[in-house]
Amino acid sequence: MSASIIAAGREERGVYENPSNKGRSRPGAVVRLFLAGWALLAGFGARAAEPPRGEWTMPAGDYATTRYSPLADITTANAARLHPVWTFSSGVLGGHEGQPLVIGQTMYVVTPWPNVLYAFDLSREGYPLRWKYRPNVSPNAIGISCCDVVNRGAAYAAGKIVYNLLDGHTVAVDATSGREVWNVQSADLGNGETMTMAPVIIKDRVIIGASGGEFGIYGWLKALDLSDGHVLWTARNSGPDTEVLAKPGVFRAPYDEGTDLGARSWANDSWKTAGAPVWGWISYDPELDLLYYGTGNAAPYNAEQRLGDNKWTASVLARRPGDGSLVWAYQFTPHDNWDYDSTGAMVLVDLPIAGKTTHALVHFDKNGFAYTLDRTNGKLLSATSFVPVTWASSIDLTSGRPVLVDAKQTGATRGNVTGICPSLEGGVSPSSPPAYSPRTHLFYSSTNNLCMDFESRRSTRLKGTPYMGVNSPYHPGPGGYRGSFMAWDAVSGRKVWENKEDFPTWSGALVTAGDVAFYGTLDGYFKSIDARSGKVLSKFKVGSGVIGNPITFRAPDGRQYVAVYAGYGGDWALLTGDIRSEDPADVRAPVDYMKDIGRHTSQGGLIWIFGL
Amino acid sequence: MSGSWLRRAIMLVGLAALAACQRPPPAPAPADAAPPAVRYVDHVAAGEVLPPGATPQNPHRGDAAVARNGALLFNSMNCDGCHGTDASGWVGPALGDGRWRYGGSDAEIFASIYYGRPKGMPAFGGTLGPEGIWTLVTYLQSLPVPKDEATESWEP
Repeated sequence: MSASIIAAGREERGVYENPSNKGRSRPGAVVRLFLAGWALLAGFGARAAEPPRGEWTMPAGDYATTRYSPLADITTANAARLHPVWTFSSGVLGGHEGQPLVIGQTMYVVTPWPNVLYAFDLSREGYPLRWKYRPNVSPNAIGISCCDVVNRGAAYAAGKIVYNLLDGHTVAVDATSGREVWNVQSADLGNGETMTMAPVIIKDRVIIGASGGEFGIYGWLKALDLSDGHVLWTARNSGPDTEVLAKPGVFRAPYDEGTDLGARSWANDSWKTAGAPVWGWISYDPELDLLYYGTGNAAPYNAEQRLGDNKWTASVLARRPGDGSLVWAYQFTPHDNWDYDSTGAMVLVDLPIAGKTTHALVHFDKNGFAYTLDRTNGKLLSATSFVPVTWASSIDLTSGRPVLVDAKQTGATRGNVTGICPSLEGGVSPSSPPAYSPRTHLFYSSTNNLCMDFESRRSTRLKGTPYMGVNSPYHPGPGGYRGSFMAWDAVSGRKVWENKEDFPTWSGALVTAGDVAFYGTLDGYFKSIDARSGKVLSKFKVGSGVIGNPITFRAPDGRQYVAVYAGYGGDWALLTGDIRSEDPADVRAPVDYMKDIGRHTSQGGLIWIFGL
Repeated sequence: MSGSWLRRAIMLVGLAALAACQRPPPAPAPADAAPPAVRYVDHVAAGEVLPPGATPQNPHRGDAAVARNGALLFNSMNCDGCHGTDASGWVGPALGDGRWRYGGSDAEIFASIYYGRPKGMPAFGGTLGPEGIWTLVTYLQSLPVPKDEATESWEP
């Protein structure tokens, strides 16, 4: 079965009604009927019948962002035999976040800047390239990206591979021929916007957002038309209701009243440079027809320049994909003054809570708390810490707000505030998405055990330059380890087991129906573990630290494989400059809290495939 | 905001800092002269013939008060957001290690800031003007350069 045949089988995806498309052909009754069927069939958690997913067609594997695969050839009984069967240098040294896609007989890999797209033929020995696509992407983007030149992956639909370029373009490439179908400018590099997130495609809409929380951007989410890339709607994450697309009768905040919350919760007009980037993951519930995404930090880091709650930074927003309208929003960290982005995945699962099945949304926030919300209305069901937390003592379930620890609040007049846990790398990095198994009913997530001091000062907004104002050195957290991989029960809100790791753990998670979970470590081990106990079943030292997300697929030879990127970077490319060797003009001493990482890894982009 | 507004604001910051230092502003001698041509000493010249172009000298080199102003400018112009606190390196390279991607002469550092560089270093010539840029150059040149230690060892 070739990729083109598979693509052809999916051409009909249905479309949304769209006011801006008046005059275009309308979807007919047949398409509407198809839509209803499609919504029912869409793989969704454990409820719907799962198609045998040998492919990996969207960033997180499914719309619910569970990173769960029904493949079960690899089991706890045989995973010890896992070994590398193939590896390929991407030729790029930036941090390799994100994950490949597997469609039909082809594996697609997007590299960090310069954002090369490789298409590997999985049906031939050695997986040779079918083609590669090298877009013309501006090197200026290197300096406008806050935290390495990463890319979190591509999306697939209707025969197109769609992804974002670091310089703010979105491209669609024909999945069969490798020819560019469209290439549009989505973000404004001159205003500090870059693009690192993986788009998600919902029917005929490509949903995208911009990075730039460190550059004082005016954060947004956009829907592009899958057929030609034109903008269908733009929703801001702050500002008056007209900008936020909060419409009367549609939007209802679970814990707030009134209009223009996204403007009134900011001193003066500071909402115009809010930050609130969208650089993480997007999930979608076809039955509710709601998409969910998290927003990043408020800008600048010196929170005294933007008094107020600063809605909707550090929040989760639920929108209608059709017109972008906001349905509900919940803010995890009001008046963020620690760079606690909430861009981590919003995992959609149905959980038995207080005796009844609840349409839940589970989120591990940078701020150290794991949240369970009712995804129909944004109401908070539970929030407990999963790493040491000092900035708040708890989250109040009545008001939905954190109970703050005054001594850990920051701002230019507060000087150097010490001992804040977690660090601004987060209890888990949003770039390290969790997995959920409907078999074990557990979540799996990397964590960081780091704390920080935070000394902020006034910052000047100067377009195209950083808008931060902070010095925030890190320290290892309590306990003598710096990261872990854990299993989490979202119903009880407790950690079930935890594998402590010497270094912060920055890979995404994968879990399969063979009850095997997978993750990688910063010092370059790729591990398979028993999803019920955490016992390590196999480990292999790949060529560089792992900050990418493992996936699994069934290859044309009928066997199950696991693929993951190696490629140290992300924030660590900045923080631990001694792991870089490509620039003789930039030689840095190791950082004091991670003096030893340079001994175990250096930069390098590699794609690995493991099999039995 | 217009560039001229910004420039005035930045000049005010600079003047306030100067006042705090109780020092008169330095003589503006060649500061407002034409910027140098893009020409790096480190480049290999074909036929050993250098292209023509000015090679201006930093009029403030070694002036501690100007360097202190430069440190303020380094933060207020958000240079630290890319090059790190005390220019120790972040997404942009470290600037206090004595090693330079685009050359470390007065004119080369000036040109890097004035015109920007192709990997994302913004051009600051428009907002800062030559005097502001020499102030930054003076700060960077005032940073203590550690011994160039090419070896990092984990052996005892």
